[in-house]
Amino acid sequence: MKMGFEIHIQLNTKQKLFCCCNPHEVDTKTINFGRKLRVSSSEMGEIDPAAEFEIGKGKDITYVSGDRTSCLVEADEEPPHAPNGEAIKSAIKISNLFSASIVDEIHFMRKIVVDGSNTSGFQRTAIVGLDGKFVNGGNYVGINSICLEEDAGRLVEKTETGPVYNLDRLGIPLLEITTEPVEGDAMLGEKIAAGIGRTLKLTGLFARGLGTIRQDVNVSVGNYGIVEVKGVQKLEQVRKVLEFEEKRQSWLVELSKILHNRGIGKSDFNTKIVNLTDIFLASNSQIIRRLMSGQNALALKAPGFSGLFAKEPVPDSRLGLDLADLCKLFGFKGIVHSDEISKYGIEGQILNEVYKRLDISEKDGFILIFGSGEKAYRCLEMAKLRLEASLYGPPSETRMATEKGTTRFLRPRPGASRMYPETDIMTILVSGEMKASYRIEMKSWEETVNDIAGKYNIPHQVAEQLLDSDYLEWFTEAVMAFKSIPSTVIASVILQTFEELRKDGLQANKSALFDILDAVNKGNISKEAIHDVLRESLSQSISVESVIKRRGLISISKDEMSKIVASILKDSVSENIQREKIYGVIMGRVMKQVRGKIDGKLVDQEVKRQIEEKFGTN
Amino acid sequence: MVQQMKPGQLVQLQYNGKLLEGLIMPRSLYEDTMHITLKLKNGYNIGLDIDKVRLVKVIEHEATAQTEDEKEYNEIGNGPRVLILGTGGTIASKVDYRTGAVKPAFSAKEIVDMVPEIGNIASISVKTIMNELSENIKPENWSIMSNEVYKAFNSGYKGVVIAHGTDTMHYSASAVSFAVENPPGPVIFVGSQRSSDRPSSDSAINLQGAVTFAAKSNASGVFVAMHAGLDDNLVAVHRGTRVRKNHTSRRDAFESVNDIPFAYVDIENSIIKHENEAIPKGKIKLMPNFLAKALIFKFHPGISESITNAVFKGDLLSVIIEGTGLGHVSREIFPYIRSAIDNGKFVGMTSQCIWGSVGMAVYETGRDLLAMGVVPLGDMLSETALVKSMWALGNGLDLPSVMPLNLRGEIASRRPVEK
Ligand SMILES: [Zn+2]
Repeated sequence: MKMGFEIHIQLNTKQKLFCCCNPHEVDTKTINFGRKLRVSSSEMGEIDPAAEFEIGKGKDITYVSGDRTSCLVEADEEPPHAPNGEAIKSAIKISNLFSASIVDEIHFMRKIVVDGSNTSGFQRTAIVGLDGKFVNGGNYVGINSICLEEDAGRLVEKTETGPVYNLDRLGIPLLEITTEPVEGDAMLGEKIAAGIGRTLKLTGLFARGLGTIRQDVNVSVGNYGIVEVKGVQKLEQVRKVLEFEEKRQSWLVELSKILHNRGIGKSDFNTKIVNLTDIFLASNSQIIRRLMSGQNALALKAPGFSGLFAKEPVPDSRLGLDLADLCKLFGFKGIVHSDEISKYGIEGQILNEVYKRLDISEKDGFILIFGSGEKAYRCLEMAKLRLEASLYGPPSETRMATEKGTTRFLRPRPGASRMYPETDIMTILVSGEMKASYRIEMKSWEETVNDIAGKYNIPHQVAEQLLDSDYLEWFTEAVMAFKSIPSTVIASVILQTFEELRKDGLQANKSALFDILDAVNKGNISKEAIHDVLRESLSQSISVESVIKRRGLISISKDEMSKIVASILKDSVSENIQREKIYGVIMGRVMKQVRGKIDGKLVDQEVKRQIEEKFGTN
Repeated sequence: MVQQMKPGQLVQLQYNGKLLEGLIMPRSLYEDTMHITLKLKNGYNIGLDIDKVRLVKVIEHEATAQTEDEKEYNEIGNGPRVLILGTGGTIASKVDYRTGAVKPAFSAKEIVDMVPEIGNIASISVKTIMNELSENIKPENWSIMSNEVYKAFNSGYKGVVIAHGTDTMHYSASAVSFAVENPPGPVIFVGSQRSSDRPSSDSAINLQGAVTFAAKSNASGVFVAMHAGLDDNLVAVHRGTRVRKNHTSRRDAFESVNDIPFAYVDIENSIIKHENEAIPKGKIKLMPNFLAKALIFKFHPGISESITNAVFKGDLLSVIIEGTGLGHVSREIFPYIRSAIDNGKFVGMTSQCIWGSVGMAVYETGRDLLAMGVVPLGDMLSETALVKSMWALGNGLDLPSVMPLNLRGEIASRRPVEK
């Protein structure tokens, strides 16, 4: 397979790219306002009929503007300020790092973006470096370009009337690093992505945390269409996505052969959308009645597709699912296809009528939507194009990566970006001096890992994991702040506890980490209680301190524990427990009372000591 | 070699030992001649040092696209006849993504193509009467606009929309207000705070608001239609003599001062909500002349004596003072004012507070100025007072008697509590 990467990574500048807002401040209030974007159809070309349709409808976009994180610039109510010099400097440094040719003048462009994520309707972007390379061990990959651009607004939700975006993220400087395509397997892809990611991380120029790095991965097999997968946020996803796409696209190649074998060709797609409302009105199926309510039933013959919609050669990859996602672009909940028609409880004679009207033979299938107006027709026209494209293998399209590492259809792939100069920003001259002096001196990955392992007295592997994670700074700060807690304990909270919590959808934060370590440091809770207290604190959004109070987890002294052990032991004497079982029973009863309040090792020692005192050594 | 490169050529260049292919773009006036701008195939422009590039070959000598400008296209769309007058800038424009050029729309067809909604509201005609940036507009241009408005109503148009750059739009609106008395329908100035080549431009919504008002309202007068707030739905219609640009960049920069907006247009529902009414009090009358011998004198602490001298002793015939507070200036200015009035010049008082009326009987300074013959101009905007005095001078009217009168809603004896 051929793969290419587009890495978008936020710079950690204090201010945004075109205004003086600090995106990391906390808003005290927000206001909302509504906008529409217009791009005339002649400008859209034939690129993205779904997006064109949405724009034609004048979709309402709602923006949420916080008082600290955004200003009139993000609201598109004030021209952009001169670009952030720190960001330009970083872009030049990174271009040097990848041995790219740096342009002599930076020209910001407007790249049309129609989904509303940019208030202006375009993203400001500029090429800083061209034709670089990334060499890592035995791997070499060309870098096409390094662009400095503004991040888009953050999607808060999608409502019936249109999307809602928060402006806090809009305008954060991003570098977009685009690699040349390379031939290879998913392992190689992961190596390249990880290598570039690690190199960027070491520069210290970028923000940390979820969502600060996003990768688009372009994948194709053979000479078929290039599929762009968006939204790969984590490194672990890269390999899974590549593996998934390779299998999915190979299946689509297979599918084209099946269609060919069934004798299907281009001319078979001269089909018309057929209105079957009258037929379905006669159905007594509850589901159909619900779907029909006031809508039309519009159907399209799918020549040769019998059995191919529901086929799932790769888990979570079905043509039917792609078609349903396509229909969602037009606001439809989904699609009905012939492979699952039996689930709808439709009467046999009605189905026969459907087959007759659509002129369907055994090898054919059909798709059906319930809707009305131009929208429904446009949607089915798009679906028809998708079906026809199946004749030629995997089509060029844009897909979205899922958390699991699979991909879902997002939209047909747009052609060349529509760009024109950003006339509000002056051209920036890059002098020879700037090119020569804006460089990064940094240690290699290995050296850095060794340094961390040595300095904090942690195993090499733990040091590498910390460096790969977004939390190295938290670790170093915590180690400095809590000298009496072993650094390995702090590392394990960050690497293991946080990871476990994250799997359950709980995002750890720095203050929770410091609060919990502080509690351990003061002896208020034991190490064993860290996981449970953090989970409760994060899941219920209450402070660590309140959780400790509420749970009565304030720890007890060794003396108090010793008394508890003595009293439990005394109460148990009458039970005549066998000597060899005494430790287990007593330990269990004591732990029930003191769990989380004192280190388990101390309890173990004390229980053993008192048992020996009373009963002698075993 | 380098000299052969010309804008419009598709070329292959060598830069830093690498080959680059792209279109050579024209440079703007603000860019130096030491660099060339190259548009790469991916759409990006980059700037390269001329001395560092070597032309490998010219792939294509591109002829610059010819644009045919049709100045007037008539009657596109359905509904009452509305004439859009172009004065400069662009109401609608199209971007050529191949070259990055922004092509303004001048004809009715092009404008209706780009803002198709207006074709459902009115039958649109378009005429470009001048091509001036807002800051270059002069009183002569106001006369041209006024004549065109007069002609339009005489040719049976229901309403007139004047597309105008925003910087001085309120001056022009004020000028046409005075020059065209009793228009049988509305005259609406419209502009945009975000240029029309961007998807987020406010121009389409503002234009819809203006055309809706021109086609559907029976109000007689001159107005300005612009965004009422940050939302892309409500357009406020302000009286031309009451409106001021109060923000450099916001969509809702235009506000009615000392008055509520005359009306609002709900774009989505195409509904006009009138807050006021204006019925023509007679036949349309044109007085299109302006004499620019007037000035706004903004008093401030430490104002230069030589400037003060030049203003009051020069050849100006009318000085509109923007006084402090209720209408005051320092006593040091008094002799200049007195001598100007004694020499037959008009001196009117407005307030630099912008909101509120002058009240010159309250303090001694004000009373002394009144005694000198300074004419208090109530709650009239200084800009409106300036334009009105140029108009009065141009048409031979007696300033001391005309200036304090309410002719076009420019001055009022009561001010609403609502702002
Ligand atoms: Zn800002």
